[in-house]
Amino acid sequence: MAVVEKKKHTRRDEVNEIIRADDLWEPVGHTPMAEIPDLRNWDMRLMKQYKPLYAPMCDLCCFCTYGKCDLTGDKRGACGIDISAQQARVVLLACCMGMSAHGGHGRHVLHYLIEKYGRDYPINLGDQVAVEAPHIRTVLGLKPETLGDLEKALEYVESQLIHLISSLHTGQEGSALDYESKALHASMLDHVGMEVCDIAEIVGFNFPTSVADTPLVDMGWGAIDKTKPTILLVGHNPVTAVPIVDYINEHGLQDKIEVGGICCTALEVTRYSERAKIVGPLSRQLYFVKTGFADVIVTDEQCIRTDMPQQAAAVGSALIATTDKASYGLEDMTKREADEIVKDMVKGKQTLIFDPEKAAEVAVKVALELAPKRKKELVTPEQVPELAKDHRLCNMCSQVCPNLLPVGDAVEAAKNGNLEPLAEVFSKCIGCGKCEQECPRHVPIFKMMQAVAGSETWKVRAGRGPVMDTEIRKVGAPLVLGTIPGIIAIVGCSNFPEEINEVADIAEEFAKRKYIVVLTGCSAMTAGMKKDKEGKTLYEKYPPDFDAGGVVNIGSCVANAHITGAAMKVANIFATLPLRGNYEVIADYILNRVGACGLAWGAMSQKAASIGTGCNRLGIPVVLGPHSSKYRRQYVSRKEEDDWTVMDGRERKLVDTEEPSPEHLAYVVESKERAIVTMAKLCIRKNDTPQGRQIKLTHYIALHKQYLGTLPDDLHIYVRKTSDIPIFFKKEVMAYLEKVGWKEKPVLSLPTLVGTYPSEVPLDAVVH
Amino acid sequence: MTTTLPYHRVNVLTGTKAARIIEDAGEYAHLIKRARRPLLVLGARTLTMSLDGRLLIEYAADIASAIGIPICATAHTKKKLLELGVEPASSYDITEIVNHLKDPEWRGVKKEGNHDLVMFLGFRTDFGEQALSTLKHYAQHLKTMTLCKYYYPHASYSLPNLKDEKWKEFLDNLITNLKEKEA
Repeated sequence: MAVVEKKKHTRRDEVNEIIRADDLWEPVGHTPMAEIPDLRNWDMRLMKQYKPLYAPMCDLCCFCTYGKCDLTGDKRGACGIDISAQQARVVLLACCMGMSAHGGHGRHVLHYLIEKYGRDYPINLGDQVAVEAPHIRTVLGLKPETLGDLEKALEYVESQLIHLISSLHTGQEGSALDYESKALHASMLDHVGMEVCDIAEIVGFNFPTSVADTPLVDMGWGAIDKTKPTILLVGHNPVTAVPIVDYINEHGLQDKIEVGGICCTALEVTRYSERAKIVGPLSRQLYFVKTGFADVIVTDEQCIRTDMPQQAAAVGSALIATTDKASYGLEDMTKREADEIVKDMVKGKQTLIFDPEKAAEVAVKVALELAPKRKKELVTPEQVPELAKDHRLCNMCSQVCPNLLPVGDAVEAAKNGNLEPLAEVFSKCIGCGKCEQECPRHVPIFKMMQAVAGSETWKVRAGRGPVMDTEIRKVGAPLVLGTIPGIIAIVGCSNFPEEINEVADIAEEFAKRKYIVVLTGCSAMTAGMKKDKEGKTLYEKYPPDFDAGGVVNIGSCVANAHITGAAMKVANIFATLPLRGNYEVIADYILNRVGACGLAWGAMSQKAASIGTGCNRLGIPVVLGPHSSKYRRQYVSRKEEDDWTVMDGRERKLVDTEEPSPEHLAYVVESKERAIVTMAKLCIRKNDTPQGRQIKLTHYIALHKQYLGTLPDDLHIYVRKTSDIPIFFKKEVMAYLEKVGWKEKPVLSLPTLVGTYPSEVPLDAVVH
Repeated sequence: MTTTLPYHRVNVLTGTKAARIIEDAGEYAHLIKRARRPLLVLGARTLTMSLDGRLLIEYAADIASAIGIPICATAHTKKKLLELGVEPASSYDITEIVNHLKDPEWRGVKKEGNHDLVMFLGFRTDFGEQALSTLKHYAQHLKTMTLCKYYYPHASYSLPNLKDEKWKEFLDNLITNLKEKEA
């Protein structure tokens, strides 16, 4: 009897098959399709430098039926968990939610496009983007060529998610650091999922790519012509928004109907149609819905009001929900004829339609039928005192305001005819509506805000997708040498602590100093919500190039992958480091050499948590606004006390640099002023040339003096040699250095963490 | 455990360990004087909140100078303090100072040893409450005290929710009490 020899099929064989390892575009690195343990040592090395700092929201754990368990002091829960591990567990949960939201969005888009075009539909991001998917290349080791390849990337992300979520179960992980490592893993995968999503949208919906000068689109509720039937798109998924635009175009209705969006669907639909409008960021969602301007509201997913059916019904707007993520308990009408659905909707029925084309047809027809029957009028200033007449200054509205605003005082002033405080409250309002809900006298606070919100419009440059390879070739050297002082990435939601236009102030501070300013999501919109004396927004004042002094709208939340991707491309295109399955080397390069810093000034969502944490694993520090302290965890160092030893890759020896660069990885600040100063500092890297360091210190010193009044207290830490001292401040800095007893420090041309922690990556891998 | 609710409901305590409420400026002054190495940490709202025409940061300067309490000027408060003629001992931001305070071996802002009583004034209440949470859970070697007009559950000692008039009265009395020699 013949013996059949079974060939062992290992996990690596499987990986090699998926990534087509035999295609020799680059050698396969050490961690293709990394699993949870594969980058654990990298994470531990990062967290040795940037230790998690926890701020528990709650003393308790209430995850299982053992609890509630008190975790204060040295107490552990009934399962054995302590307060730190519980915080890290919640962080992981948030990052898994965020990653799933983007991944789920990507899966929906891919399903739709594969059904339409097939798995072999090619990926082509234009003639300026050859490195099409730095995350998929780096994390998986796959060079995606088709929609089917994007699906492989998503399948890998999904397979990891089950392990990550499983670790959250009671009686699993007991270490805060290991939970953090998993959170970093989930968040790295989030950037893969986002990349899948945005690339699919670009190729499937023909969004702009390989271009910087995208159109300037209209923003603001004032841009919506209320005399026309209006469709409002809310959420983060263009699968229905695009067919709506197509239906309008195919039926010659372009001049007869308005399409506006809130949140990322707005950014996506304006990448598809110049005629579509951005109503505003998330913080203006409830305000706009309550105006009743929308004849039809189409929701997709993420950051949409979960009470949208009630809000829409209250103002007589029709509602179509379109995804399985948010179905609101509505009747699924997908299989009914469009005209039948229209009849029901005109009578007031809210619907769930999963078929995007049908939803589009219904939305347009319902808008056309409903609009002539509806009145759209805003409250005037003269009407406000009457609306506020029952107000009694109990201040319940102020007490429940998540942004701590003096709503009650503002309503009291409005009652007496002074609308200024209400206007100020509106400028800081995050749009939750809790004030109105809490009012025992049912004062219509949001309605009153219509009198102060104005109808100003702005121009925002449409999202442009990936940073072009040609741009990276131009800025790679100056970025790494430090002569372009940094990339400032302003991302995330609109849960801003103060005035909405602080984002524009911060962006402009850096743009005028010739940093590269990139923006996404609600932050990209809000950066356009401020005009200069000539009436120009940032997008009209500054060039759209990924270059010194550029202000670049990359796109929606999922376009964040292109920001981190740009840093990866610097390592790949400028420094010629291979991306393929080479995560540690690329992250190490970015951490030590690419002066990039994120800002999530109004971060609210779990998606923002995973976006930021994904930046952190890749070596990019992120500054967060004060609300983000509620994420519970920061990654921080202690600059004077910590050991800043790294490997000098050229000399092959350990060197104590004494230099905390970057000083923190995830860092919450209270004020805009401190955020600006901190971001300038967090762009400093060990690799800076003396010329580059001079430029970075010039900005750090100037901003510190401007906002804090003096030279920085830690300036001596960032001066390695006298050649680092900015000429403009030389005398002053020299006097300071003498006073504090400064001594010269080593300058490294190839700083790396490789060689300072257990890793399979050889030192040679970082020498290029 | 107290049943007092914080003014801002976002700070409602979900837990077991809440601040002791003290309304008497004399008792506060006693606790401060009894401390070996107190520290006053100032937040951005000291620059925007005012009482009777005086910025909160001016009250802070008076409190600190009454018995020589070192100041940690977080956010962008340093500039105004210097204008008032007060040199802060540290300009660590709130996260940095909290991160250092966690370590019992830290030498403190004056390099004389870690602080045993840390007073907070002028933060957003939600952000301040989170900073206090870190210290409540991870710095059991020190006590925290808030001087704001709102109740902070995560502090060791907190004022109750006060109207501005009462709060001003408290701060004035605190300054007076601090200046007085204890028997």
